Amino acid sequence: MTSLNRHTVAEWIAYGLFIVFVLALPLFWDDPFGLNRWARYLVYGMLGAAIALSWGYAGILNLGQGLFFGLGAYMTAMSLKLASWTSLQQGSDTPVPDFMLWNAQPGAPTDLCCIVPGSWVWIPFQEQWFGVAMSVVAPVVVAGLLSWALFRLRVSGVYVAIVTLALVLLVRLLVIDAQPITNGFNGLTDLGYLTILGHEIDPFENDSYYLIAVSLVVVLLAMRWLVATRAGLVLQSTRDDANRARYLGYDVTAYQVFFFTVSAGVAGFAGMLFVVVSDFASPSFMEIGFSIGMVVWAAVGGRGSLLGACIGAIAISVLETSASESEIFQEAWRLIVGLAFVIVVLFLPRGLAGLARDAVDRLPLGRAGAAPAGVAGKPAE
Amino acid sequence: MTETLFIGLSLGSILLLIALGLTITYGAMGVINMAHGELVMIGAYTTVLASLHLGLNMFFALPLAFVVTAAVGLAIERVVVRRLYGRIIDTLLATWGVAIVLQQLVRLDLGLTFFGIDIPGLGPGLQNVSIPRVLAGSGSVFGIPIQPYRTFILGVTILLTALTWFLLYRTSLGSQVRAIMRNPQMAAACGIDVRRISAITFAYGSGLAGVAGVLLAGFRTVQPAMGATVVVDGFFVVVVGGVGSLLGTVLSAGLLGQINGIVAVLTNDILARAVVFGVVILLILWKPRGLFAFKGR
Repeated sequence: MTSLNRHTVAEWIAYGLFIVFVLALPLFWDDPFGLNRWARYLVYGMLGAAIALSWGYAGILNLGQGLFFGLGAYMTAMSLKLASWTSLQQGSDTPVPDFMLWNAQPGAPTDLCCIVPGSWVWIPFQEQWFGVAMSVVAPVVVAGLLSWALFRLRVSGVYVAIVTLALVLLVRLLVIDAQPITNGFNGLTDLGYLTILGHEIDPFENDSYYLIAVSLVVVLLAMRWLVATRAGLVLQSTRDDANRARYLGYDVTAYQVFFFTVSAGVAGFAGMLFVVVSDFASPSFMEIGFSIGMVVWAAVGGRGSLLGACIGAIAISVLETSASESEIFQEAWRLIVGLAFVIVVLFLPRGLAGLARDAVDRLPLGRAGAAPAGVAGKPAE
Repeated sequence: MTETLFIGLSLGSILLLIALGLTITYGAMGVINMAHGELVMIGAYTTVLASLHLGLNMFFALPLAFVVTAAVGLAIERVVVRRLYGRIIDTLLATWGVAIVLQQLVRLDLGLTFFGIDIPGLGPGLQNVSIPRVLAGSGSVFGIPIQPYRTFILGVTILLTALTWFLLYRTSLGSQVRAIMRNPQMAAACGIDVRRISAITFAYGSGLAGVAGVLLAGFRTVQPAMGATVVVDGFFVVVVGGVGSLLGTVLSAGLLGQINGIVAVLTNDILARAVVFGVVILLILWKPRGLFAFKGR
């Protein structure tokens, strides 16, 4: 019981320090470009935590998380593209993305309804709230249907990984193939600003950083709360032994679908935030490397800890960017990441969070949690 | 029509070539080897280096690449995979790390870049392999246009499949491998040296990847990242066919190859690949254990 208390206290201290650090960063660091970079890292942190939720807590390895991130990113990017000045200068009363004009048949009317086949899907995205809402709704719907199909048939383990991987590659190809309405390989660039309550969010101002920092804190705490609820505990039991949970009368499929979908929704939300700070969306979000990269973040940070996975993602991204200053060092860095990853999987399956947990165990605090430090000290040998 | 079928057959034979090694490592040992694509890549680079430094053409590169990649595979088994038997998801992650390491080693000229040494044929750039003159060009048999190189690939694939079948089903080594496939503990209890057989099996599967790499080098650009897409295709073939089933792998490679070929003729290459991925998803949902899975394990 005391060791449980000790871990709970240590965990809340870790959360507290992390939240203070993230929120206070702009106070001490007045560099718009640096903060913009950090805002992206925080988005990656959110992705890492989302993977920990589905992988660590539900035991579902999703190798296609990039699909939900990408969907979220594209939905918001479509709205922001229509808000961009490049879309307003195409000689039409309503905004039309510039690349559609390049793809249009000669003589096609310059209007979203029919400039290129299928361009009508863009019409509702003229309202920004629609694009932003779809950033979460679309991933949730897709993830809900997919996971319902998968888990109802009791597909598990590796097969889930393979199906999610196939799906993200499939959608990536469809996005590339639908070039007239998605701009194919190039993705959506030259985006406008997101407007919240009449206030434009500039990617290189502090408010965009705060938007993301606060979102991360809220999402992280919400997920932490979720896994500690009764539903979260049942979920963890399905991870450890799905059949036993089934025999106890729990609807395992429902729990798995719910948490898989929450994880996807968080990824979609992260995609929306990423577009706001990075000003683009591209099919590269749906490449294999990015999706597996998220799993690497979570594995290094600690798949069983939401905060650990989040910090793992941020730490790896920070190091990666500093290493990419010189080209040769960048290649060497990737070599180190590969090696580190092998070592973590082989020797530290619980990641950095596991290391931290062990360190807390070894802290020379009193055996009784309430005893003042120094009095109890180390147990006599 | 025959031409379309032959395109499909050719695509299918390449898929089979890649999947053959995987069906052995994954099927027999339950190891998801994400570095399989990198072994293919090493096979391709062996071809480049052999012609550049030793003046050997592709025919000599085939056995050479088999030996090189089998050795690399053995090393991977000894250092990484051996510690992870029974933890299938962890094998996927650890070998992903191995894949990155192998890619970077090629990009960095095995690390010699740091000392200012460049090995011609390695490094981050693109490499090209010229195919032997006998196999270049195109001919026709009974009015059907035939590309000698594609036919050569098909022939090698058939040969290797037959060899693998023979090893698995007609030798004592093969029966030991199949025993491990069904139940490793029981096999060990019967006196089979599971670790030794697993190491040999892994090395053989890796060697097959190397051969695939040599043949791939003949018609694709050789570059450090070439393995990444290859391994995914290979896994789809193996999973659709049924883990550990040689017949299943052959048929699913043929099926996916034909679908790819036919859709590519009707629409375009991108959509063809997308359709293949879609078919894979539906097949896994329909039969999660693959089309030809055996019962048990």
